[in-house]
Amino acid sequence: MLITKLKSKEDIQSLLPEKVFVLQCRGCGEISFPEQEADELTRELLAADRVTGVLTTDYICSPENLSLRLERRRAMIDEADGVLVLSCGVGVQTVSALLDGKSVYAGCDTVRLPGFQGVTPLEVDCGQCGECYLNLTGGICPITACSKSLVNGQCGGARNGRCEVDPDMECGWERICRRLEAVGRLDALKCPTQIRNFAIDANTSH
Amino acid sequence: MENYTKYRLKSSEELSDALAGTDNIFVIACNKCFKEFTGEEEPECGEFEAFAEAQGKDVTGAVRVDFLCNKVQTLRKLRDAVPAGTESVFVISCGLGIQTVADMLPLPVFAASDSIPCRGHHGMALTPKACDACAQCYLNVTGGICPVVDCSKSLLNGQCGGAKDGKCEADPSRDCAWEQIQRRLEKLGRLEEFRDQPVQLRDYSKVDHKRITEYVNAIREKRLDGFYGGVHPAEHKEMSEHADLVRFPEPDVVVIPLSMHTGKPAEPLVKAGDRVRVGQKIGEQAGFISAPVHASVSGTVLAVEPRRHPVLGSGVLSVVIQNDKLGTLDESVRPHGDIEELSRSEIVEIVKDKGIVGMGGASFPAYVKLQPGKPIDAVLLNGCECEPMLTADHKVLLHCADDVIYGLRLIMKAVGAPRGVIVVEDNKPDAIALLREKTAAYENIEVMAVRTKYPQGAEKMLIKRVLGRSVPSGGLPADAGAVVSNVSSSKAIADAVRTGMPLIERVVCVTGERVRTPGNYIVKVGTSFREILDFCGGVVGDDVTVKMGGPMMGVPQTELDVPVIKAANGIIALEADHTEAQACIKCGRCADVCPMELSPLYFAKYVETGSLQGLKEQNIMDCMECRCCEYICSSKIPLVTKIREGKAAVRGMK
Amino acid sequence: MKITELFARGEFVVSAEVGPPKGIHIDGLIEGAKEHLSGITAVNVTDNQSSVMRLGSLATCKALLDAGLTPIYQLTCRDRNRIALQSDLLSAAMFGIENILCLTGDHTRLGDHPGAKPVFDLDSVSLLHTVCQLESGVDLGGNPLVGEPPKFAKGAVVSPCSDSVDAQLAKMERKVLAGCEFFQTQAVFEPEKFIAFMERARQFGKPVQLGVIIPKGAAMCRYMNNNVAGVHVPDEMLNELAADKERAKAGITGVEIAARVIRECRPYCQGVHIMALGWESKVPALLEQAGIGAV
Repeated sequence: MLITKLKSKEDIQSLLPEKVFVLQCRGCGEISFPEQEADELTRELLAADRVTGVLTTDYICSPENLSLRLERRRAMIDEADGVLVLSCGVGVQTVSALLDGKSVYAGCDTVRLPGFQGVTPLEVDCGQCGECYLNLTGGICPITACSKSLVNGQCGGARNGRCEVDPDMECGWERICRRLEAVGRLDALKCPTQIRNFAIDANTSH
Repeated sequence: MENYTKYRLKSSEELSDALAGTDNIFVIACNKCFKEFTGEEEPECGEFEAFAEAQGKDVTGAVRVDFLCNKVQTLRKLRDAVPAGTESVFVISCGLGIQTVADMLPLPVFAASDSIPCRGHHGMALTPKACDACAQCYLNVTGGICPVVDCSKSLLNGQCGGAKDGKCEADPSRDCAWEQIQRRLEKLGRLEEFRDQPVQLRDYSKVDHKRITEYVNAIREKRLDGFYGGVHPAEHKEMSEHADLVRFPEPDVVVIPLSMHTGKPAEPLVKAGDRVRVGQKIGEQAGFISAPVHASVSGTVLAVEPRRHPVLGSGVLSVVIQNDKLGTLDESVRPHGDIEELSRSEIVEIVKDKGIVGMGGASFPAYVKLQPGKPIDAVLLNGCECEPMLTADHKVLLHCADDVIYGLRLIMKAVGAPRGVIVVEDNKPDAIALLREKTAAYENIEVMAVRTKYPQGAEKMLIKRVLGRSVPSGGLPADAGAVVSNVSSSKAIADAVRTGMPLIERVVCVTGERVRTPGNYIVKVGTSFREILDFCGGVVGDDVTVKMGGPMMGVPQTELDVPVIKAANGIIALEADHTEAQACIKCGRCADVCPMELSPLYFAKYVETGSLQGLKEQNIMDCMECRCCEYICSSKIPLVTKIREGKAAVRGMK
Repeated sequence: MKITELFARGEFVVSAEVGPPKGIHIDGLIEGAKEHLSGITAVNVTDNQSSVMRLGSLATCKALLDAGLTPIYQLTCRDRNRIALQSDLLSAAMFGIENILCLTGDHTRLGDHPGAKPVFDLDSVSLLHTVCQLESGVDLGGNPLVGEPPKFAKGAVVSPCSDSVDAQLAKMERKVLAGCEFFQTQAVFEPEKFIAFMERARQFGKPVQLGVIIPKGAAMCRYMNNNVAGVHVPDEMLNELAADKERAKAGITGVEIAARVIRECRPYCQGVHIMALGWESKVPALLEQAGIGAV
């Protein structure tokens, strides 16, 4: 699950060649995309006569349909010195792979949202650590619910049950302890010392 | 297609440890997502059950659920699933599903699986491209190849010394990302640009957790606001909302189909050569669910013959009238008196006789709705106009507020409802203010402003939103004590009573990025689309899709020589989108947005495999074809077309 | 002594490399270095080389300094984030360590703690940038240092016989732009590749020390060919080593080969860097055969 925000105008302006083709991805239909800012930027570029064409569409990460759409605009793309893509990082990479040989510029920065599957942003998150700790924590993930991803209990930084890194966030380990107590599993806190294994994805990475 | 399978069963040792000390276990497995949708269940659930039983555990039950992390649907599916006597619950899922379940059950919840780690986060399409969402995109530096995900060390300033034969030192099955970047930059002639840019540093503080949390909360709230699901397409009402409402010039010829309503077509009452007047009945109602049809102009009947219809296609019997442009009124067009003097049945009779149908798109004969046969405690007037782009109802509200309110009072009287609610989306503040002012004198009428969300205007959604009630599966609004009417229909009812004018004209919004001059027009029923689009300056470019209605539920037109019908709230011209349906990747977004809480992916699957049983089990008949699923579908599957096929098949089975 | 001063004087700079032990007893390393390496300019100390946990590079550098040698402190970005790296740089300066070599570091997966979290908060380029920043009296966070800032001779590495030589050159240039003052190379066995590389690297105007390994035998060379990036021992050399096992074992063949490489490359480089890999005792003989007098 990814959300995007526009890079600063100065950054974008300093990147772009004279003539650009602008490709806007309206997120995944529902995921945050800076529509107004993107439109404003496009209008400014149009006003400066630097745009050879604009395509506003969705799911540009899907190479099959994107290539159909780009093919119909081939002339406009050929005319441009570069392609400005306003989308998440996956979209930009898909475009640059399809337009091999054309300079592709990313106009957005991408931020991750909890709920990594892309279904919908969720309150709960999974860090895909590959060694699920939820058995030891009553089903609250210490990797994502604790700012430090501690796996052996609370640090000394919690104040009034709040995280030292972000006081808006409840201390994950406070929540874990409460949950364990509620389901009668406080004994889970007596488990052996946990040490994370960062090599776990060695043979499973895509 | 990449398979982003999300979890795998934990090792036997770990599972034994977790199972120790608990005897009666219940097993929940997620059917996985972001993978080729085969319809087959994942084997892990059965494997784990067998393992637990071999350990001497008593498995009290097991369920397999789609999209376990979908909280609302999971809650419903698990409501009565866990039998009494269960000591603990084992979940086979990625971390999201396990946490979702742990959050909703009062029992100890155990993870029987590990999420499979992968670098970065994929997009919607299942390609190998991934993004780490670092909040500081470096793709400009690297010619579009991500150094954060594709380099094992996430190096930002160039290759390390570890690459061998172009492969990564940490994983020789992977290409060295920086080697690829080098080649790409060289090809693009951007090597100097790369050399001259400043030293790149990661800024781990760039990810603003507060903003993310706020965004998540906002989107969860929106998703569940009023009713489950729905979508928020770009509204683009600005194209036509500032155009004044004007009367469209009298057409030379009108083509009036005898079928502009749900139910049986009307029987023609005229023949070629007959003279007709404005408001004269030219087609007689042909059954209970049917409606009469009236002449929208005065003149001579040229023919009664099959013509093309914007919804039903070719061959729909229609009355073709040469307009004499005199506007001679039929004698039947006369006031029926005041609301106070009319009885409930008189109102129903007028609505029936004047051919009034639901003008929001469904075209259900309005008089039928006015005899619900059940106690009604509220009439909901739908002024949401939740379809993007359209501004027809908006114009009706602004220009005919008094008529709309009068019509509402007539409906309330007809159905005996003590309360009337005019529901308007918050993107029309001027209409809301005007209606509030105009209804101030009526204690039993309120104006409710609701947050914009599609398909708010659908009857069932509106009832859920306003009254908090659900219409039962297969039921009607009256089953929930409500009658829902469109504002334009309400205005037509007011006209029918106050002036005696039948439904012969309506407000049509002509809009879309390919219409040269968008506008809002009062158009005579039977006016051709071509004439209207020509009047608006024609369409721009050649790659254009014209629809009757809005971009969501509108009906695409292959020919423009079709007439405006009673339900034609819009004629829109859009840039055609060229896509091809791809295989379903089980992303779950259709289930996430379906306001009826259905799983549309199964409809497509079962239509393909011909499983009528499956279609019924998935409640295909509850689908109202709002097209949210098709809008959100990342594989561009024509779901609504498939659903219509499926429904026809299920109907045929009965 | 900063080795950059020697380069500036046009001297041919010779350095060798020692790896700290996996333990706390360092006497052997110091004695060996004093015995075999005191004749050369400087001694590199590796930083948990190959991601194998060992005694720290900084502590070893200090011990060498106390023994009268000139250490080159190697820092990798694998195990420390920017805070720890800067802190260790200040510590090094406090001890009087003046030469540093900035590396990205091998991936954790290659070493003896494959489950460790790889840091890579910075990389070799951004580490060089960070050092320059510290030298200007400001840390990477933009905060002023108290008192006189440190000053180092800043080195980095490059892999001239890599199969992605273009990417290596691009990175080398980025290192120069980030403040790198000298380079040591990965081990070279193919002088023609090195010379071709130097033709292209000369434009950067920075001294380059030729990286040299004394081959211990054909098996070792085959292992390197298969497993070490950027190192390729040609077949002729392999045959040479395989021809007389005893001679190879005694180091005679290896020293001959290494000396030959040095002689061929010498006109194109500004020094040599010897990775003795335990054969520190052979360094004096190597230098003699290569025609490089003790400095």
